[in-house]
Amino acid sequence: MVATGRPSATAAPTTTTPPKVSIAKRIGLGGGLLLALGALAVLAFFSIALGSRSITIGTVFDAFFDPSAISPDLTVIRDMRVPRTLLAIAVGAALALGGTLLQGVARNPLADPGVMGINAGAALAIVTAIMLIGVQSAGGYVWFAFIGAGISTVLVYGLAATGREGATPVKLALAGAAVTAVFSSVTSAVVLANVDALNEMRFWQVGALSGRFMPVFWQLAPFLIAGSALALFAGRPLNTLALGDDVARALGQPVALTRSILFAIIAVLCGAATAAAGPIAFLGLMVPHIARFICGPDYRWILPYSALLGPVLLLACDITGRVVTAPGELQVGVVIGIVGAPAFIALARFRRLVQL
Amino acid sequence: MPEDPSGKVSLPLIVDRKTTPMRRRTVLSSLTALTAAALVLAGCGADAKDDASSAGGAWSYTAGDGKTYTADKTPTRIIAHAYAAKALMEFGIKPVGIYADGKVAEDVGLQGVDFTGIEILGEEWGKIDAEKAVTLAPDLIVADWWPAEGVYSGQEEGVEDSAKKLSELADVVGPAQGDSIVGVIEGYATLAKSLGADAAAIDSAKATFDEAVARFQAATAAKPNLTALAISPYDDVYAVAVPKYAPELLDFQKWGLKVIDPETPDPEFPYWESLSFENADKYQPDVLLFDDRNAPGGQEKLASQPIAANIKAYAAGAMTNWPAYWLHTYTDYTAQLDKLTTFIESADENTGE
Amino acid sequence: MTKTIEPTRSFRAHRRNRARWGLALSAGLTIAVAVVFILSMTFGSVTVAPIDVVLATIGSPTEKWHTFIIYELRLPRAVTAVVVGLALGASGAIFQRLLRNPLASPDFLGVSSGANVAVVAGFVLWNLTGYQLSLAAILGGFATAAAIYFLAGRGGISGYRFILVGIGVSALMASLTSYLLARATLNDARAAMTWLIGSVGMAKTSDIIALAIALAVLLPASAMLGKRLRVLELGDGTATALGANTRVDRALLMLAAVVLVALATAAAGPIAFVALMAGPIATRISGRADESIFRAAAVGALIVQFADLAAQHVLATPISTGIVTGFVGAPYIAWIIIRANRSGAA
Repeated sequence: MVATGRPSATAAPTTTTPPKVSIAKRIGLGGGLLLALGALAVLAFFSIALGSRSITIGTVFDAFFDPSAISPDLTVIRDMRVPRTLLAIAVGAALALGGTLLQGVARNPLADPGVMGINAGAALAIVTAIMLIGVQSAGGYVWFAFIGAGISTVLVYGLAATGREGATPVKLALAGAAVTAVFSSVTSAVVLANVDALNEMRFWQVGALSGRFMPVFWQLAPFLIAGSALALFAGRPLNTLALGDDVARALGQPVALTRSILFAIIAVLCGAATAAAGPIAFLGLMVPHIARFICGPDYRWILPYSALLGPVLLLACDITGRVVTAPGELQVGVVIGIVGAPAFIALARFRRLVQL
Repeated sequence: MPEDPSGKVSLPLIVDRKTTPMRRRTVLSSLTALTAAALVLAGCGADAKDDASSAGGAWSYTAGDGKTYTADKTPTRIIAHAYAAKALMEFGIKPVGIYADGKVAEDVGLQGVDFTGIEILGEEWGKIDAEKAVTLAPDLIVADWWPAEGVYSGQEEGVEDSAKKLSELADVVGPAQGDSIVGVIEGYATLAKSLGADAAAIDSAKATFDEAVARFQAATAAKPNLTALAISPYDDVYAVAVPKYAPELLDFQKWGLKVIDPETPDPEFPYWESLSFENADKYQPDVLLFDDRNAPGGQEKLASQPIAANIKAYAAGAMTNWPAYWLHTYTDYTAQLDKLTTFIESADENTGE
Repeated sequence: MTKTIEPTRSFRAHRRNRARWGLALSAGLTIAVAVVFILSMTFGSVTVAPIDVVLATIGSPTEKWHTFIIYELRLPRAVTAVVVGLALGASGAIFQRLLRNPLASPDFLGVSSGANVAVVAGFVLWNLTGYQLSLAAILGGFATAAAIYFLAGRGGISGYRFILVGIGVSALMASLTSYLLARATLNDARAAMTWLIGSVGMAKTSDIIALAIALAVLLPASAMLGKRLRVLELGDGTATALGANTRVDRALLMLAAVVLVALATAAAGPIAFVALMAGPIATRISGRADESIFRAAAVGALIVQFADLAAQHVLATPISTGIVTGFVGAPYIAWIIIRANRSGAA
């Protein structure tokens, strides 16, 4: 699993470079990726086919294969369900990759953009931009989200990583809880001061995918896709960092620079995801662990798996939220919380905490 | 009855001013016994007589709750719910303090009212500054009576406890909300007369209003097939108003406009049928009437939904606002009816299905 | 937490001094709570001079309307702030002393979040009211605390793993609350939501009475038990050797702490981090290891009183008390981390 080396000079790293992957295993892992892609396609289809309006399967296919056809059913599919599904895929990938990067950089299996307060920082920045500065479009406030996510990343990591022991999970979680508490207090105070905006904010604040259509997707897609693409290339530096700072340095890696770049990518991923769907916690925690369980400690494989499994999990939770309280809708953030919090507890309980 | 059409809630939800009241609530106990005796004019010794127009003399009024309230002199220091205040002021009775469900400057139902010299005790639903109210030493509190809940505006469940203490300062009275706005306005006219208003002015306002009703009826008679749908697009919900619980919509129906009765009102909250936007094309009226408390937010909300193009009336631009749950005066009703009359005269009966 | 006693002084003389100092401190804190209590009833949209507050409270008001303002409007809120603060401060101190961990507060132990969910569930699913809700809060607090205790595993509570588990459980409880609210009828959800915003201004009379009774019984009781806490703090082994029945003491103290925090939560909703801060602040004020539960309770009362004053009067729109304590408490946690960084023990 994760490398267990500690940043201090006294503790020797216990793992070496990830073992060379055999051809057979490589084919197996590649097949696994295809499988994940298949699962994603199936869930995406359900996400498009299910909803409060009942639409026949035939009509769903018409929406894609008969571009000339026009009807209210097709409007619902093409303009309402497809954008939502696309957004879910992009957000799922971004959050999962963000979580993977975070766990790799902080060398901490409990790191998560939600738990660490990064999403809360982005949320506060977005709320501030909308309510105090008057920014309206997603393409406008996403920049504020980056800044907010960046500030809270630096704050939380800085707070936790100073000191001899480095960023232990307890310190990271505590620092995250503290930063989340401050940011969400301020967010609440800002939102409460303006009742009109409260309506706009209240679904978004728990993490929701509903009511977001093509314009929002087009405004945020560039950041989500660019961030995800950059993250996918981070496998090699993450593998090196996993060996511990000293070894990484010895291998010629500029540790501080690498960390800074990776944190910047995390801020972009989490900021854009939060701008799209609100502050969603635990997705970035769970997915990397599932990926690691499948493919072992090599980040070059973990990253693509995360990129596919993140959307799978997010879509599954979103569909669940639509089904369990039908005809109403349970926000996807709530569903993920109910699934993800126990996962967090299990990790905290059963993983040896020293290995962080 | 301004209702929240949204059927869903999530954290952090606050009682919203547009959503206002959680009407249709459990019945609250009747007015608290008046403890602060020095602050109120107890109705001792006054004869309950109907003619109470003489200022300074004994006063009595039978309120919407069915009780007759009396005092040995006509109340002059009145605190009123903002809509009630507007109704009283139209008849020349000026309160000393008001409380509103939202920002007075923004409330569509309070446009053009001059509240100078009147203390504003609250601009958010459920919040009334009882401390300031005490210093005003009120001798009467005026608000709508909601028969379904058995409470006056400002005393509903969900209102802050401190705000409810207002009822300990003086009697709370007012006409009942019912199946017609006209009844509410007449109720306020009666109350205003008992408080010393000029009867002639009231009659002239009513005459003007009756003419507006006649014009409205003529317009609807000329378009017998015109159907209208009263809606409030809100959050993730396309809420369709149920006329049975909207007195002005009942009035419109009575005067010949075919306001569509939704098929399946929400079981929990029968003021609306909440549709998801995916099903927003369920009803295809000739014209759309938007809840004007949310204007222009409601239209913008619908515009942002791709399904809007499939609602024929929306696509044809056949839409206007409907004065939702706030009418309390002849003047307002006349103006709103005239606007709707003009709109109906230019509407196309064949837009919808 | 515990500082070593200077070896030069005789143990007895030290104890005498310490008792005197403690008494003086307790008196000072009591006076401070009383002063802020009166001050908090001074401000509002109408200012009532402190002397007039006192006169109105004892029944001879300067102006007749003072009575209404004080008794009907301001006194309930001021009393709630005090009793909620006392309860949170006391329970936090008990947990911290008992578990020998500065982070062992109901916020992290899951008691608060468990009480939260229980109240919402009781209200939404079973239409409970008044004292039934208080009871639900207590049960919820217990159940969650027990769950976290067992999940944290061997040696968990005295270590730091429970904090991680606690954060996870709190997140789960928050999600469950959202779920309950989504399933609830609109009216129920609305009412639950008003409470969840968390403010001492929301307390119902029944909540205040339940909490006041609990305080009257449990505060002296845990203070007495607390005197034996020092024995406990020597460690289980020593205490057992001394013949103290630590197991029963621990259980009783824990019971008292959970009841207090659950009732405080039932009364005012979630008010974060007060229990976490009160004990350590009391220790700071007294300048030495302070085992008085009463003083921690008084500090808790002061925190809530000030937080509520700030919540009501600092911004143009009043906000809830919990937002203020959340804002203040977080830097305190940051400080704990920084301190841990310096000492290298986290």
